[in-house]
Amino acid sequence: MTGRSRETLSGWIFLAFLALAGCSTPATTKTEVAAAPPAGKQEAAKPSPQQSTGPSSLQALREGEAPTTPASSPLKEIYFDYDKYDLRADARETLKTNAEWLKANPSARVEVEGHCDERGTNEYNLALGAKRAQAAKDYLVTLGIPAQRLSTISYGKELPVCRESTEACWQKNRRDRFVVMTARPAS
Amino acid sequence: MKLRFVLLVTLAVLALPHTVKGQVKGLIVGPGAERYPLAVSPLKNLGPGEDAKKLSEGIADTIVRDLNLSGWFKVLDRSAYLENPQSSGVSLGSFDFKNWSVIGAEGLVKGTFELQGEELTVELRLFDVYQNKQIVGKRYAGLAKDFRRIAHRFADEIILQFTGVQGVFNTRIAYVSTGGGRFKEVYVAHLDGSEKVQVTNNRTINLSPSWSPDGRSILYTSYKDGNPNLYLFDLFAGKDAKFSSRTGLNLGGKWSPNGKFVAVTLERQGNTDIYLLDTAGSVKQRLTDYPGIDVSPSWSPDGQSLAFVSDRSGSPQIYIMEVESGKTRRLTFSGSYNTSPDWSPKGDKIAYTSRVGGRFHIFTIGVQGGEPQDLTPSSGDNEDPSWSPDGRYIAFSSNRRGPYNIYIMQGSGENQQRLTASGGDDKNPAWSPRLE
Repeated sequence: MTGRSRETLSGWIFLAFLALAGCSTPATTKTEVAAAPPAGKQEAAKPSPQQSTGPSSLQALREGEAPTTPASSPLKEIYFDYDKYDLRADARETLKTNAEWLKANPSARVEVEGHCDERGTNEYNLALGAKRAQAAKDYLVTLGIPAQRLSTISYGKELPVCRESTEACWQKNRRDRFVVMTARPAS
Repeated sequence: MKLRFVLLVTLAVLALPHTVKGQVKGLIVGPGAERYPLAVSPLKNLGPGEDAKKLSEGIADTIVRDLNLSGWFKVLDRSAYLENPQSSGVSLGSFDFKNWSVIGAEGLVKGTFELQGEELTVELRLFDVYQNKQIVGKRYAGLAKDFRRIAHRFADEIILQFTGVQGVFNTRIAYVSTGGGRFKEVYVAHLDGSEKVQVTNNRTINLSPSWSPDGRSILYTSYKDGNPNLYLFDLFAGKDAKFSSRTGLNLGGKWSPNGKFVAVTLERQGNTDIYLLDTAGSVKQRLTDYPGIDVSPSWSPDGQSLAFVSDRSGSPQIYIMEVESGKTRRLTFSGSYNTSPDWSPKGDKIAYTSRVGGRFHIFTIGVQGGEPQDLTPSSGDNEDPSWSPDGRYIAFSSNRRGPYNIYIMQGSGENQQRLTASGGDDKNPAWSPRLE
């Protein structure tokens, strides 16, 4: 009992130390996701800077930017109904256009990000986002895009692009983003 | 730092009348009982020096805060007290109970402290004012900086005397917070909000902290390496290790009560299922095998069953699975969005989040089903319930005052009180086991 108490206390002392030291864990280095590759070093398959898909939403978070897809992106976002992960007709049309670009740029690898609106609990929304990302990937595969060019990641409701509690805003957040990767995503 | 502690050595104060449990007048039996009026006097300084650390009131304040959080006491305002705590005695016969009965106190906490260097000795006593009796007395030895823990320990003792079960004031709550910034980090704070410590600082998204049964470590999901992996942070060693890093979600790890397994949500190609991992993070067993969403496992206290969320009926609902047989039954039938189950340590109820008219409320339901009880019927969005280790309280997050903060309430929904106010969003509370 005494020994355990002592041990416990040392644990809390460590925590107190962490608090004082401002915590020691080093910030993770940048991901390999690039927003706009510098001109000149660009490979043919990548979109031109004008055509960038934007950085991954996680990278955008790290850099203090909004997780938006630029209007000039060749890969457009698709949108979902509340608490749904089946593809709407408008989403299928967008995916067909995205597939055309992917066919024209056969070495481009894309990460599909699944996102949700703010309503509901974090874990369920992460599972829902995974479904949304996978739904787009599966459809792109049926359109002839090799599965190995497509990875998925769910951000659940963690990285909204719009922060108002309105249906218009929620719809913007219930989305898949398509981000061109410069390297194979870490697995 | 040298760990030379005579750490919180607790002794029943010698030469005091023998304590008989269950003989407290106005025994508190449960929610709805009238709050017991009690006074907590500042402590008498027996030391040679001035009370530079303000321990006299600091210890009393900590006990008052705990008793108010408990929901069972009405602590009388200090400005009404008639005695001078530094000149009056603390043992039977050395003070006048009339000074306390006249202000309406039925219970009374008095005590002394003595500081020698950094070594602190505290003596605390609980009296029944009507019967002019001492109910319990304890002496604690520790360091000056431990004064809150000593106070919490006596608060736990008071709860024991009144209810037959020790209090939970030496527990902590892990949660995630944006702290006013854009990153979501894991924090641990004492139940009263003190001793707040930032556990992660990786400037990404960290989610769903949960405690190991021994209170040593915290499992959490983090995007710090890109993929949402599960990590194990050892609070004692200060070590952080990858626990599960399979491609896709590694989410919401929960230790089995015996500490041998971790139930976790893993994703394979968009499909989330519940798995059992061993303590090294290897898959021992796949528990669900359904093409839709299965997420958020929570163990029964006997470790035989898991509650979890599945959308197999077309909407997210709570299910219960017997781990051994795999036998699964649906628990919730009201509403079309029921998530984040947490099984009470008493075993009888499951708390969860349910959507009601576009808002989210905390409900409880019996493990055999029945009528769910809405614990937060009229106050914003309320999510992610987590039971206290005694099964009497529920921590949860609520945006009733704007940003999300951590609150606690009694299991009945009574006495809802805010614990955190970081300026940002505070979410995903996880109540620790009892800590020494």
